[in-house]
Amino acid sequence: MPAAIVAERLTKTYQVKVRDAGLGGAVRALVRPRYREVRAVEAISFQVERGEIVAFLGPNGAGKTTTLKMLTGLLYPTAGRAHVAGFTPWDGGSAFKRRIALVLGNKQQLLWDLPPEETFQLNQAIYAVPATEFQARRDELVALLDLAEVMDKPVRQLSLGERMKCELAAALLHRPEILFLDEPTLGLDVTAQEAVRGFLCAYRARHGATILLTSHYMADVTALASRVLIINRGRLLYDGALQALVARMAHTKRLELVLGDGVSREQLAAFGEVREFRFPNAVLEVPRDQATAASARLLASVPVVDLSIQDPALEDVIRRAFAEGTEGGA
Amino acid sequence: MNVWLRRYAALVRSAWLVDLQYRAAIAIWMLWNVTEPAIALGIWWSIASQGAVQGFGRDDFARYFFGVALVNQLTLAWDAWYIDRWVRDGEMNFRLARPIGPVHEAIADNIAYKARTASVVLVVWMLVALAWPVVRLPFAPGRWALFALAVALAAAIRFLNGYATGLLAFWTTRATALMELQFGISLFLSGRIAPLALLPPAVASVAGVLWFPYVLSFPVEVLTGGVVTPEQYVRGFLGQVCWLAVWWAAYRVVWRRGIRHYGAVGG
Repeated sequence: MPAAIVAERLTKTYQVKVRDAGLGGAVRALVRPRYREVRAVEAISFQVERGEIVAFLGPNGAGKTTTLKMLTGLLYPTAGRAHVAGFTPWDGGSAFKRRIALVLGNKQQLLWDLPPEETFQLNQAIYAVPATEFQARRDELVALLDLAEVMDKPVRQLSLGERMKCELAAALLHRPEILFLDEPTLGLDVTAQEAVRGFLCAYRARHGATILLTSHYMADVTALASRVLIINRGRLLYDGALQALVARMAHTKRLELVLGDGVSREQLAAFGEVREFRFPNAVLEVPRDQATAASARLLASVPVVDLSIQDPALEDVIRRAFAEGTEGGA
Repeated sequence: MNVWLRRYAALVRSAWLVDLQYRAAIAIWMLWNVTEPAIALGIWWSIASQGAVQGFGRDDFARYFFGVALVNQLTLAWDAWYIDRWVRDGEMNFRLARPIGPVHEAIADNIAYKARTASVVLVVWMLVALAWPVVRLPFAPGRWALFALAVALAAAIRFLNGYATGLLAFWTTRATALMELQFGISLFLSGRIAPLALLPPAVASVAGVLWFPYVLSFPVEVLTGGVVTPEQYVRGFLGQVCWLAVWWAAYRVVWRRGIRHYGAVGG
């Protein structure tokens, strides 16, 4: 079975007008405009198999959203090829668009002044969903996302979390096989984030959907994605399993300790780098290959109530991957 | 029901439901659109107090500007401002991800708005006609049918003109300024401020080679009896069809090129 998403040397460059500051700069830009070429995405290639959930990670301006927009047919690439659900996205037309969904965390398609039900009915007509199927899907999504209470409230009166859940429901009524989610948990509180993540997992399990999402929240990545794509300055730095990235980039382990009476910061420093010390809690960082030996020595010589060995925070791993420009993948 | 009929029914329904939330704003906008012909009528009514102006008496002016108010309401085109905002704020993005082009939402929006506001203008006209016989129109179903055709073509030309101009937002931040410029020029060249027959010959000849008279003056004159001979009808409808073709082609070219140029700003 062919992959759900294939990108081959996908590239997007923009011409950006350059203007000096001040009135003089404004006049010069008017008389003799100057342009600079910005490479938003540079020859990136990857595949996403059917049913996979893949997270697209990168700092702001890295090229994640531009790539997503090319894969959904919103943008024409400057170079390269892509196949999504068997279509070339920018030439796929309505047949292609019926097979995908795009949810943008900071832009909404819900009709602002009307209850979500109205957007659902509009999407039923736009996507030509038969009435009986629409009712069944609507009821399923309302139940999965716990939306029954908000279906008759105008969208403008809903909380951000409720709105995002309604956005997801509206985008999935036509039962797309591939979901492109751009920051789906942006600005949501922890409870709403968990609800969205739980829903996405459940939806994928039920319908075998492929999901490509961007997020700044590592909790999204760890909860949802088995694989990550790391992009920075338009270049794909890493494509592989999350655990493999951690193993590659995390050269240290964290020893999280609950200490017994009388243990000082200075005593701990003999076993590794003390990252946090708030008695009785402390965090030591030790080289990855010495974690077990260091733990054994620590337990033998210092009163320790509890000890756990952890990988470093994913944020640190990702930050290091951006900085070091990791190539390849697992 | 056909898929497209269902889509249009749903889009028009949504537009009506949204409009209902903005009743006051729409009433004010409608009033604003009627104010201009009302002021023009006031001025020409006063000028014509000494007698007819080049064959236009007070009654003719009254019928003409009532016609202008109705036709203007039926052919208004505001889409350039919407498209400009969609492109600049990134609201175009989810519209492009749907299986129907954004133009269909705009057409449905036009149908919804115009059907409602024009029906209000018609009712007001009929009520005024009860008390003021000069604005009564003779019973002429044939002329009304031709008027309906002329208005439909005029609305289509104005829509495509506004939509194509709005799509220039793919390249420039000045698309709405271009629309405002056209709106200013149309004040004279479409017959909004005076019947074209009263304009200086040089201005009238410039108007004759542009689309402006065909989107307002021609339908108004079909309704009020200014267009009489078969030659005048043929010339008018031919002009409308030609300009419709021109703006349709312009829309297709700007859309196809614009969508390739689109930067899809924002989320």
